[in-house]
Amino acid sequence: MRKIIRLFLVIGLAIFSSSALAADTKVFNVYTDANSPDNHYIASGYMGDYADVSMDNKSMSNPNSGSTCIKVVYSAKKTQGQGWVGIYWQNPPNNWGSKKGGFDLTGMTKLSFWMKGEKGGEIIDKVVVGGIKGLYPDSSEIAFGPFKLTDSWKEYTVNLAGKDLSYISGGFSWIINSDSNPQGSIFYIDDVKFIADTTVKPETKKQEEMPFYVYSDRGAMQNHFIASGYMGDTSDIKTDLGSVENPYSGSTCIKIEYNNNISYGARWAGVYWQNPANNWGGIDGGLDLSKATKITFWARGEKGNERIEEFKVGGILGEYSDSDSAGIGPVILTKEWKQYTIDLTGKDVSYILGGFCWSTNIDVNPDGIVFYLDEIKYE
Amino acid sequence: MKRISAILAGGLLIFCILFPVCHAATGLKVTKVTIKKLKDSRYQLLVNNKPYIIKGVCYNPVPIGESHDYDFWSDPLQPWIIDGKLMKDMGINTVRFYQVGENPEAVKKVIGDLYSLYGIRTMMGHWLGFWNYPAPFYGDADFRENVKKSVLDMVREYKDEPGILFWVLGNENNYSFSGKLNPWSSAEIDAIEDPVAQISERARVYYSFVNEIAEEIHKIDPNHPVAMGNGEMITLDIAREVAPAVDIVTCLIYRGRSFGNIFKGLKNMFDRPLMLLEFGCDAYNAYTKQEDQDVQAKFLEDQWVQIYKNLAVNKTGEGNCLGGAIFEWTDEWWKNKEHDPDSWSVHDTGSNWSNGAYYFDIKVEGNKNMNEEWFGIVALSPELENGLNKRILRKSYFTLKEFWKKPYDKIKKDKKK
Repeated sequence: MRKIIRLFLVIGLAIFSSSALAADTKVFNVYTDANSPDNHYIASGYMGDYADVSMDNKSMSNPNSGSTCIKVVYSAKKTQGQGWVGIYWQNPPNNWGSKKGGFDLTGMTKLSFWMKGEKGGEIIDKVVVGGIKGLYPDSSEIAFGPFKLTDSWKEYTVNLAGKDLSYISGGFSWIINSDSNPQGSIFYIDDVKFIADTTVKPETKKQEEMPFYVYSDRGAMQNHFIASGYMGDTSDIKTDLGSVENPYSGSTCIKIEYNNNISYGARWAGVYWQNPANNWGGIDGGLDLSKATKITFWARGEKGNERIEEFKVGGILGEYSDSDSAGIGPVILTKEWKQYTIDLTGKDVSYILGGFCWSTNIDVNPDGIVFYLDEIKYE
Repeated sequence: MKRISAILAGGLLIFCILFPVCHAATGLKVTKVTIKKLKDSRYQLLVNNKPYIIKGVCYNPVPIGESHDYDFWSDPLQPWIIDGKLMKDMGINTVRFYQVGENPEAVKKVIGDLYSLYGIRTMMGHWLGFWNYPAPFYGDADFRENVKKSVLDMVREYKDEPGILFWVLGNENNYSFSGKLNPWSSAEIDAIEDPVAQISERARVYYSFVNEIAEEIHKIDPNHPVAMGNGEMITLDIAREVAPAVDIVTCLIYRGRSFGNIFKGLKNMFDRPLMLLEFGCDAYNAYTKQEDQDVQAKFLEDQWVQIYKNLAVNKTGEGNCLGGAIFEWTDEWWKNKEHDPDSWSVHDTGSNWSNGAYYFDIKVEGNKNMNEEWFGIVALSPELENGLNKRILRKSYFTLKEFWKKPYDKIKKDKKK
């Protein structure tokens, strides 16, 4: 009987130590040095244009501490046609939620990591903790970014206080895109760790300052929301966020082509700019834009007389819903740039996931249309 | 003779003052329903001077195998008798009818039975010709006159029924302004080039018409308010300009668990009391392909929590909500394929529309997740009981029954979380 109890204790201890962390654990390393026994998670989850990136996790090129750091070389060639790339540190390796393997990081209040760029000015789209879906989904997804690297080591921290970290199989990931880094980039990562710092308190949503851009120029740091929410006949839409065809201001504008193939039989199409990308209300990603009284944008049609049924902000409804919605339309575009305004007076824009949206249909544009947008901003 | 007439007239006047109007058949008093405006645009519905919270349900008890043209008003099986009892037990105090039936005596019996037997009052609707063929030409004088006459005839016929709570004009008719549903126009509107101005003009024409009818109703029936049934809050800013005679704005809202900013939003758009005329959640999960009573119960409870938070008595909310009517009492098996009689006896799990606010099953292929035949808080069984489809009470029935017993307990509990 004693033997059996002892066996249970051993098994129990083994299970506990492999998947759960004691609440008083102060630091939980993801990467300190190559081959460090303290490392957790494996950099196995390649996403997007995975052939555009090479990563050396034993680089001895001036690490922040210890003897090695991680060196990433990104070519921005869009080899897989995605325009972005990212890598997840997973447990076990290559686990996209099909296997059980998350760590219980309860008690950790922040992620700390160090980064630097080869030249400085490299833009990291975001760093993410958690967010793996599948059969065994992570209990949270916390994103941080975009941010611009300097040419010397700098510590970045992500506030995790108050988040449900009870099951995290995707411990750390970074994403970079070709719009922000059209020539590619080289950057370094070191000392990635979770820390239980009791002085860190849960972040309250801050009111964003105005003007607050949805789009100013391709890859601009001040851009917010991602043009990810394709609707209706999605295959009939082509979006170029870096069109140089007569932008209203800066060096680029957005060119949208909507053809009349009616690929999925919907007879309409539209795109939402979302936060984070592809968020249809499943993620707590709303931004507080309460200081805005309007959103303005510039638009023109390639020929003139293109009809957009609606330009809109907010209106995404899901587990997390936009706090309100406002729109204008139908709008008949002119060949010349013209500014449009959506009045937000009296609207509750304290929680906005869907920062901007357009939609139209084939019945009012039987031959399809090409139109342009620029300088989309909350004011 | 003149003196006798004068004495009789005087006596009648005193009688009327002392004794409010009584219904001839039942002896029950005609209800006096008013809106009380409080500070900060908070509103209360008063029934015979007492606050009344509308705990309502949309009632259209189409049996299995029948479709929209089934006339329940004249059904000798009297489904409202068994349904009214179940409603009363649950805590429902109001039903919403979309439009009166053809036989006034039958309609009066239904309204009267529900009220006299169970204390359930009636919100009586009128489509305002929205489904007429050809399209509802709200700018056409003859069309307007016909619709107006039909509404006023209804009011004259039923205004003295003690069970009447108020009149509801229209049901999402504003979705026609953009031309996407039941499109209509006029030469004047067609002459407008700007499509936005066209929509605004249709709204102006329609809401002016609603206002005209509301004014006439007030002359005929000073005892019952007039509500307007709007799809979402679309174009209510124009209603504010041209429809001051409307007493209550009622909205049909399908925003999932939350009504969002509607309470505050309405204050900005059209300062009137708000009643949620239709809302709810279907009990079928299109993604897992099975009935899901838990989700329906959860969504409905969350929706009612918001309604109670925004009643006039609750200081923390906007205070402009009068209550709501759940869509709907029983499932309707004809709705998914309304033109296929064979399908009316089948509980279809198909869907014709998509709504991300009902996120639990939005991932179904094609995202069509709104299962029209599964919105009832009461399911129907093909098995008959006294000639009627047996009523099977869903979880939401019991959840709301408990909620209405102590609604503020639930709100307090939510706050603590």
